[in-house]
Amino acid sequence: MYDRIPLITSYLRRFARAMYILACLLVVSPVYPAVGATDAGELSGTEAALDVGLLIFDPGIPADESTHSKLGIFPRIRNAEAKYMPVTLRGVLMNTGHWGAVRVLPEALESSELLVTGTILHSDGQRLALQIEARDASGALWLDKAYVGTTEPSDYPVRVPGDPFLDVYQQIASDLLFARRQKSPKEVAQVREIALLLYARGLAPEVFASYLARTPQDEIALVRLPAEGDPMIARVDRLRNQEYLFIDTVDEQYARLSEEMAPTYNLWRQYSAEQALYREEYEERVSSRGSQGRRGSFAALDQTYNAYKWSKIHVQDLDELALGFNNEVDPTVMEVSGTVFRLSGSLDAQYTEWRDILQRIFALETGLAPAS
Amino acid sequence: MKAQSPIIIRFTVLLAIFVLLGGCGTSPAKEKAVLQGDNRDAVNFSGSWELDYSRSDSAQEKLDGIVRELNRDAQRRAQGNMRQGPGGGLLINATGSNTRSSILGVVRLADEITQSPLLEISQDPHKIRVEREEEFDLTCEFYPGELRQVETPFGTEICGWNGHQLVFKLLLPDGLSIQHVMTGGAAGQKLKIATTVVSSQVSFPFTLNRVFNRFEPGDDGYRCEVTLTRGRVCTTESR
Repeated sequence: MYDRIPLITSYLRRFARAMYILACLLVVSPVYPAVGATDAGELSGTEAALDVGLLIFDPGIPADESTHSKLGIFPRIRNAEAKYMPVTLRGVLMNTGHWGAVRVLPEALESSELLVTGTILHSDGQRLALQIEARDASGALWLDKAYVGTTEPSDYPVRVPGDPFLDVYQQIASDLLFARRQKSPKEVAQVREIALLLYARGLAPEVFASYLARTPQDEIALVRLPAEGDPMIARVDRLRNQEYLFIDTVDEQYARLSEEMAPTYNLWRQYSAEQALYREEYEERVSSRGSQGRRGSFAALDQTYNAYKWSKIHVQDLDELALGFNNEVDPTVMEVSGTVFRLSGSLDAQYTEWRDILQRIFALETGLAPAS
Repeated sequence: MKAQSPIIIRFTVLLAIFVLLGGCGTSPAKEKAVLQGDNRDAVNFSGSWELDYSRSDSAQEKLDGIVRELNRDAQRRAQGNMRQGPGGGLLINATGSNTRSSILGVVRLADEITQSPLLEISQDPHKIRVEREEEFDLTCEFYPGELRQVETPFGTEICGWNGHQLVFKLLLPDGLSIQHVMTGGAAGQKLKIATTVVSSQVSFPFTLNRVFNRFEPGDDGYRCEVTLTRGRVCTTESR
């Protein structure tokens, strides 16, 4: 009886090993790209996909308030758009399947693998102009380009889910993908390593600063890599994931804002496009018609005055629509901003606390004095 | 010589009015020198205002006055012509303006654009909005050292402060310009808007004064606001 026990143990070991190999095949194999599935030099799979940070756009509101109405800028709508547009771009980027996590960031995260920033140059229902810049963790410029899109009357009413300027976002996504395809797998891997080391350097500069160096082109280069299995790096990675958890919570707030304001925002864009179109037609109509009366007569004066009056009323209708937009969307924007603010404070506190803990662990492990 | 004295006086008065109002066809650059973009002496016109018909000008009476003046001028001109030969008189200018039709046009237009019996004015340190019934809102923004000027294909709008008076000026095509000068009075209970219409076809500006009294709109027990998806939404909550 007892001599059979080792035999059973041996069977069990073999069975366990077989199951382990099978499990490895099932779990690990999808990570590797099928041969010929991608272009040469293109990366695929979650291991190679870069995470993207989309910073809340610069609303492009001039500091000089006196210029706002001349430029047709409604500041509160612009501020809402600055949160709305990155969420739309995130959706487009995620749908391509070429990127890792795509996050909308309330503040720039230096250690983002790819950080996309944008400025709204112009935005109304007829025309959208964005200036988009993208840099990877090394500081290398991937993209710095102005994107302009115009709508047709057939783009309205907006079919949800959808956006009348979807082609603008798709073009940005396409250009980002093109820029990524210019990078070799090694370069992409380096970007990921630099991003992690930048984060680590932020926590323990005295330890991780020497891993990175600044190039004459003002980019960050990888000098050396930590040893494989370095426990400090593993801790840094865990800490970074904690931070991402916070950011993801903020991200959900933006997504909710975007979802809630979409019907109103789409209506605003439709109305503003119709107003602009009507205005153009009105100007054309007025300029092409002859005077109704003899010069100086009441009919002639009235015609001149009414042309101005109705053009003015159109503009003021647009103002009223903007007010309607604000009345409806402001509470949501305020709520989201407040939540973000509270989270940001909490994030900062947690971040500082984690950094303290990490530095103390580091001091215990290395025997060095903790950073001040 | 005796016959020309009143004409000289009138000419001087007209000249003074032209100087005060900036005159017909004044360039925006010249306006900037008169009006101020900031509101150091600003008056707060905020509130609800209703037209005081008894204290406001009647367009018909003013027109009658002009007609009487023109008749007198015509008589003087006729007398002057008899004494001095052709060429006398100042009101009828060389381009043949001041016709019955052009004078009537200016008066009717002034009357038409000042018909709003109620005004709702909202004002803060940087802007004002005068909501007028049946008319577009008069709006202005005030910033130090900058005069508000909006140019559109249909005309140019200039506004600013002239001391304690707020001036809105529209420079429209075909030599038409309209100016509204807002003046407060009676410890903030009265508002006078002097609307002047100037046409290149009439040699003198025509001004109509409208006086408004402040009133407190009654508490209706509900509050309304404009929304984009639901239009005007009213709630019973008090202000």
